[in-house]
Order: sequence, then structure tokens, then C-alpha cells
Amino acid sequence: MQRKVKGSALVALGASVALVLAGCSGATSAPATSSGPVTMTFWHNSTTGDGKKYWDDTVAAFEKANPNVTINIQAVQNEDMDGKLQTALNSGDGPTIFMARGGGKLADVVAADQVMDITSQVSSDVKSAYGDAIFSAFTIGGKIYGMPTSVLPGGIYYSKDLFKQAGITAAPTTFDELNAAITKLKAAGITPIALGGKDAWPAAHWYYFFALRDCSKDVMNTAAAKKDFSDPCWTKAGEDLKAFASTTPFNTGFLTTSAQQGAGSSAGMLANHKAAMELMGAWDPGVIASLTPDTKALPDLGWFAFPAVTGGSGEPSAMMGGSDGFACLKTAPAACVQFLNFIASKANQEGYAKAFQTLPANRDAQSGVTDPALKDVLATYNKASYVMLWLDTMYGQNVGNALNGGVVNMLAGKGGPADIVSAVKTAAAKG
Amino acid sequence: MSESAEALATRSSGSQAARDGAHRAPSRADRPGRARADLRQRLEIVLLSGPAIIVFLTFVIFPVFMAAYYGFFKWKGFGVPTNFVGLQNYITIFTDQNFLDALKHNAFIVVVSLVMQGPAAIAFALLLNQNIRGRSLIRVLIFVPYVISEVIVGTGWGLMLQYQGAVNDLLTKIGLGAFKVDWIADPNIAIWTLMVIISWKYIGFAVILMLAGIQSIPDELYEAAAIDGASYWQIQRWITLPLLGPTIRVWAFLSVIGSMQLFDLVYIIWGQYVSSTAGTSTMATYMVREGRLTGNYGYGNAVAVVIFVISLVIALTYQRFVLRRDTEGALTGEPGRKQK
Repeated sequence: MQRKVKGSALVALGASVALVLAGCSGATSAPATSSGPVTMTFWHNSTTGDGKKYWDDTVAAFEKANPNVTINIQAVQNEDMDGKLQTALNSGDGPTIFMARGGGKLADVVAADQVMDITSQVSSDVKSAYGDAIFSAFTIGGKIYGMPTSVLPGGIYYSKDLFKQAGITAAPTTFDELNAAITKLKAAGITPIALGGKDAWPAAHWYYFFALRDCSKDVMNTAAAKKDFSDPCWTKAGEDLKAFASTTPFNTGFLTTSAQQGAGSSAGMLANHKAAMELMGAWDPGVIASLTPDTKALPDLGWFAFPAVTGGSGEPSAMMGGSDGFACLKTAPAACVQFLNFIASKANQEGYAKAFQTLPANRDAQSGVTDPALKDVLATYNKASYVMLWLDTMYGQNVGNALNGGVVNMLAGKGGPADIVSAVKTAAAKG
Repeated sequence: MSESAEALATRSSGSQAARDGAHRAPSRADRPGRARADLRQRLEIVLLSGPAIIVFLTFVIFPVFMAAYYGFFKWKGFGVPTNFVGLQNYITIFTDQNFLDALKHNAFIVVVSLVMQGPAAIAFALLLNQNIRGRSLIRVLIFVPYVISEVIVGTGWGLMLQYQGAVNDLLTKIGLGAFKVDWIADPNIAIWTLMVIISWKYIGFAVILMLAGIQSIPDELYEAAAIDGASYWQIQRWITLPLLGPTIRVWAFLSVIGSMQLFDLVYIIWGQYVSSTAGTSTMATYMVREGRLTGNYGYGNAVAVVIFVISLVIALTYQRFVLRRDTEGALTGEPGRKQK
């Protein structure tokens, strides 16, 4: 009897070793033809709820349509994604399909020759339904390296109930109006703005948006290309933010508040009516919904664009945002791009937008958006004079991190606008 | 551990056999047997110590040399580094205010850990050495934080010490609302909050060490002192404390090394980005942030080398000047005087 058990244990061990080996080799040595069995690994950042389920279901549907393909899904927490992905790519064992947000971060991976050029493999259906503009963040040196799944323009999400409670009748369109709203909210005992400073980027977004309003389109593009922040508008953006922060609009302890994890996070504060506003990208309705007491969408969630800044040279209608998307490993099999085209189809994009409560990249699927806040975002987005990429994404991990750190320092009272720019220079010396 | 001890024993008996062999003229008859025994012993040494040595060389020594090598490059971590920059990374490290701050925080943590935990641990150990009711329960309670994982400790304290967290709630409920502060986000007090958490977490270890040290002091000394009419405090001052010297010195050594390498608690409570803003960054969190998060692996390796060298210098200095008396058998000398 015992012998038998041992024997079967050995078989199980052998099988699992074989599975592990298959998992390891799948990414690198799978045949490029679609005939043989293909195993791919897939990393996304939806660890909970509808988003996780959406990927599980979509992958299952793709596997059903392509019986020779097996996709192993790994959900990685968003704040861990950059580091884990980099480590995996460094070790030559990167996932076949991985999350990418374009810009400088993707350019680093392209420079390392780790990602597949999919320019000619994006299906014509997808190309016409997406339009060219959306691919720009994923285009490096004229070649497309990733498939966007969403458009995520930023702006201020707010609770209509709390605004009403404080006696605010209209969404602010200028900073004077925003400051007046903040005063009213404080008088009503409501925390005006929730800020997830612990993750650094939410704090930095405030600086980016001031820069969007203060700097012209040309200046911002020059900064992206040359990492040159000498134009005075960069300092003005810092000064504007400093002046705004000095009115203490943010929640107490914002420095150690995370953005998306738990009820104490900035999104959680909005979800539980503990704060009235939050500056975020279009993923926010979904994140907030996952943190409400009944994990349903927040019914009174509203949205308005980042208010106009007096004396700025940026277009008041300009927006900033990003795209979530996915890329294929350089050595990926043909099924990888098939999968990207699959998730870009209208039906899957509609499912995506519903599951994540966000805006799909596929324009045909955008008509399915019903959330009132997101409808406002979409309307403003379609009228935007131009859309800039998140600055930290655009400048890549190294400079982006330094920029974020400089802004957090300033908001916490350490250093000023000039230190943000000098932090960027120091970063350039390190990488 | 026991494996290597065995290997040592084998080796000494082996050399003993070799010496015997040198004294006696080997007769032809017992030569093959001796050679076979010799071979067997060598094989045993190789078998028993081999794996440990291979693991040590592969995962400790080799990475140290690789880090030193990578530290001379600007390198994004992909493929073989090519952009040789000489000592540029090291110059950047020592001119980066964030690193100097981190170094300062480390020094602060080293000193304050010793000052806060040392006396408290000795006091606890003296107390727990008495015959008091519930002694073993108190011992367990003091030691429990030490065995809880750093991640759990960090998450727990991080949540409780939020401005809207349990600690401030408690203060409000007992009428001390005026003392509500932002324990972990206010850069002026965050490092003190960290020190309290560190002390709470690691004092159990110090207490256990001290307790063991106290219990190894011969009773005769106490009896003799008591007969001579020494008071309780005199006995502790002139017998316990001096004879506890070796234990204190070893504990201080471990504490200093632990403080130099502090990473996990800070990383969990303050996350990946804001520890330097909150004034709690350490060299290790700086290394992860500037090396891994920013993808500057060459620079990160240079930071690792700096941490390694600083720790090595401190460790060797300490061993040379402080721990040496213990290895020379200070217990039998005049520990009371040397204690000063």
C-alpha cells in the first residue's frame, strides 16, 4: 500500500516538474506556427472582483476558440507590477503577454529588445475601430509595441452628495471656484480632497496637471524628448501647486495614505464619503466601486475637468491621461498578437469597459458607456484640443520616479519647486 | 550547523592520523588500509561541507563580486553592462542628499536602538529573573513581537498609526484628543514612531539574551556578596552588570548590524516611495528605490557595495576593539573594570 502511495507521489512530482518546465519554456521556445500546442503566460493587474473575472472569462473564451493555446494568468498587484515585470524581463523569463502603459517605460523595454513589434500584425478591423491617435503612446520610433485596452484621461472625481451638503451648486471650472468649494467643504466639516501620497504618483499628478495648464504643448513635448525642464512654466507649476497646497485641501496624513488599497486609501475615502474629491484617471470609478460598502458603483459620483489656471500657456481644454494596454514578449508565439487583437474587438472591449467601469480604447465600444461620470469624461475627452501622456509614464521609470519624489517632498513641506527640477537632474546621473 | 561541526571533528581526527603516520615508519602491510581511510575521510569532508560551501560561494561571495563589478556601470539590468562609468556612481551616491539622509537615519537608528533597548532589556531581564507571579506569561508576551513577521508588524502598526487610525481614536476616547498627531506622516516625529515600533519588536530578543546571561552567572557570587552585606542594587551593579558584559557586547553587535540593514519595517509602513520624505529612509530602502524601482541596476549595485563596506568596517572594528576581550576570556579577568 505504502509503495503504491509512494509511486503515485513520484508520478505527481514528475508531472509537476514537467509542468513547471513547460511553464518556463513556453515563453521562449514555443513554435511560431499556430499548429502545435502553445503555452503563454499573461500578467495583468486586476487582483480582485469584476476585473479579475473579466480576464479569466476572456482568456477562457480565447482558449476555447484556439484549442491549441493555453494561457496561464498571473494577476499582479498594481504597485508591484513595474518592479516584478522588470525583474522577470531582466532574468530572461518575462511573461509572454504583459501589461504596458506606453511612453518612456515601454521605451526602456524596447531599448532592451524585450518586446515585439506588432505594427504589421494589428488587424485592420482593430486599426479602424481604434484610430491612430490612441496608438501614439505605444508607438516608439514609428513602430507599434502594444495594444491599448482603455483610454484613461484624468480629472477630478467628486461626490455630488457631499458637494450638495456643503452648498456647492456647480462643479468648479476655475481655481478660484475650486478654492471657494474647498472653503465651503471645510466649513461643512468635510475633507475636501483625498490624496494617496504613499504611492507618490497620485500626488505627482497634481503637479502634472498644473504643468498641463501652465506649459504650452510645445514645451511639454520638448521636455519629453530632451528631458529639459528649463522653461519657467515648470517652476510656475510647482509654485501654483505649492500655493494650492498651502490652503491644506488634502486629507490629514495624505503622505502615508495609499491610493487604492482598502477603505483608508484615497479611493476608499471617496467610496465611503470620507472625502469629497480626488484627482484621478478614468480607472477611478471601477476602483471606487470595489471599495464601497456594498462593492457597487458609487451612485453620486461626478467628474469635472482639472480647472483652468490663470496666466497659464496651456490650452484649458487640454487633457492628460494614459492608456492601459498589453504587449508581447519579443520571443512570443503568433498566438500572442492574436490574443491582443482578440481583446481589442468590440465585444471584448465592451465587456472590458463594463468590468473595469472605465473607457474602452475601441471607439465602437465607447457608445456602451453608461456611467454618468465616465460619460462626462468621454465628452470632454472627445473635445480636448490635445491629450498629453502622464508625465511619469512619458519620462520613464527613472526620471518619472524622481519627479514623483520631488513633488511628494514639496507637498510634505520638504523643498520647493526648484528642488523638483533638481531631483530630475540627479536622477539623470544615476541611469 | 552540526554537519560542519562533524566535518571539523573528522578533519582533526584525520590530521591526527596523518601525524601518527609521520611518527611511525609505515609498514607495507597497513598502507592500503590507511590510504583508504584517508580517502574516506576526505570524501566525508567533501560530502558534508561541500553543499554548504557551494551555496555560500554561489549566493553570497559571487553576488558580492558581481555587485562590485556592476557598480562601475550605468546599467538598466538587461543583458551585459557596457556603459562603463568608473567611480561616477559612487560620486553620485555621496553627493545625493537622499543617500546622506538615509545614512544619517541609519546612524540615528543604531544609536537610539542601543540607548532605548539596552537599559530596558536589562531591567526586564532583572525583573523576570525574580520569582514573580505570571513570570513565564510575561516572558512570552515580551518575546512574541520578535517572532511575528515584520510584514504583519508593519501592516498592523501602519494601520493603527494612521491619522484616522486606532491609536488616535483611542486617544480621543480617553480624553487625550489634544495629543493626536500624525504619527507616521509627520516628518518631525515619524522616525521616533519608527524607533518605538523597532524597540517593541526587537526588545524581546534582547531580554532573552540578557536573561540567559544573568542565569549563567554563578550563584556563589551572589551568595558571597549577600554574606558580605551587599544590597540588591549593589549586587546588580557590581556583579550582574559586569558579568553580563559579554552578553551585552554581543547583543549590541547584533543590534548595530540589524539597524544598519533595517529595511522591511520601513518598506512596509512607508511603502516604496515616501520613506525619505517622512524622514525614515534607510540605506537599504534607498538602494531598492534607486536601484530596482527606477531600473538603475548599476547604480543600485554601487549602493549595495557602499552598504556592504560600511557594515563590514563597523563589524570588523567592533570585533577588533570590543568583542576581542570576550574571545580572550574576559570573564576570568577583571570585567568590572573593563566594563567602563
